[in-house]
Amino acid sequence: MAEESGNTRVYRKTMPPSWWTRKAHYFWYVVREFSALPLAIWLLLLLGEIRSAANGPAGYHPLGGTGFVIFSVIALFFSLYHSYTFLSLSGAIIHFKVIDRQFPSWPIVWAQMIMWAIVSAFIIWALWWFST
Amino acid sequence: MAEKTITIQATRFDPDKDARPHLQSYEIPFIDESMVVLDALNYIKTHVDGSLSYRWSCRMGICGSCGMMINGQSKLSCSAFLRDYWPKPILVEPLNNFPIIRDLVIDMEDFMHKLKSIKPWIIRKTEIPLGSGEHRQTNAQIDDFRQFSECINCMLCYSACPVYGLNNEFRGPAAIALARRYNHDSRDEGTKERLPVIADAEGVWECSFVGECSVVCPKGVDPAKAIQQSKLDTSLRFVVPFGNRE
Ligand code: SF4
Ligand code: FES
Repeated sequence: MAEESGNTRVYRKTMPPSWWTRKAHYFWYVVREFSALPLAIWLLLLLGEIRSAANGPAGYHPLGGTGFVIFSVIALFFSLYHSYTFLSLSGAIIHFKVIDRQFPSWPIVWAQMIMWAIVSAFIIWALWWFST
Repeated sequence: MAEKTITIQATRFDPDKDARPHLQSYEIPFIDESMVVLDALNYIKTHVDGSLSYRWSCRMGICGSCGMMINGQSKLSCSAFLRDYWPKPILVEPLNNFPIIRDLVIDMEDFMHKLKSIKPWIIRKTEIPLGSGEHRQTNAQIDDFRQFSECINCMLCYSACPVYGLNNEFRGPAAIALARRYNHDSRDEGTKERLPVIADAEGVWECSFVGECSVVCPKGVDPAKAIQQSKLDTSLRFVVPFGNRE
């Protein structure tokens, strides 16, 4: 699109809607951003189930079936990817010094990954414990 | 033996004649393995078509004026070797996300305005008299900002940033990295003056961490890191008691 800028006529290219297909990096960025969506939908479904459970066993019809299992696996994959990318980026964000030296980012990333694994293991154990 | 050649497809745009840019192909001799895209453009300008317009100066990755899109990637044309592309043709276009003035020359007015807006100079509450000697810094103090001071204002990061491409109001990678460079300089006392620009919705918070700015940066400035760290710092200044102190 040509337009005037001061005394000069310039041409301004607009970003095409397909900009995210230009580079693999852009593509994975969009996947990262959208990976929160299946997780959000899954959590909304879970909230719906918890609400219906409040009405007692009679009104409680947990979601099941092949479709829901497939969707849950997809949501799990995306939420793992989202968490992994988020925690990896934390190495670039968190910064502090120890005795005048910048603390390296890899222990920060690993510490978070380990904490993530411990918390996940605890939740799995707690769910199993309640179910038995 | 026939002379080795390479084809350069360059964007042409004459604001007085053309409604939109178009590509023009030039086949030029590829005589020397050390030739870079800028050499090819200089060959075209000297021997084939003197009307081709582009910016350059140092030819050694220092002045930051020769940034272009080379086969769709943001690069300094003086650092892009023809040997890495030959025998395929090389597509040379002006930097993405900026208005085109002519051929490969972009309008950098917006970038200049953004750089100036973060006050990229040392701000002091009280000036130290020149006669009092040097303002000394330890190595650790210099290390605090050295990486962010390597910027050569080449604008490759802006051309690679889809956020800036979609919203020109975004302050952008180099400007925020430069603000961090001054905010972390032990001689500077201007953080509070830069904060309104940096902590703004069009400042660090517009960035969604695509990270391509750091990939294309020829100087290892890592502006994406500067932006994310500034997000954390500006938030801490807000939530930590007395965090907004100077
Ligand atoms: S941060 Fe890097 S890519 Fe951006 S203008 Fe500075 S040197 Fe160029
Ligand atoms: S000509 Fe100076 S950086 Fe390329």
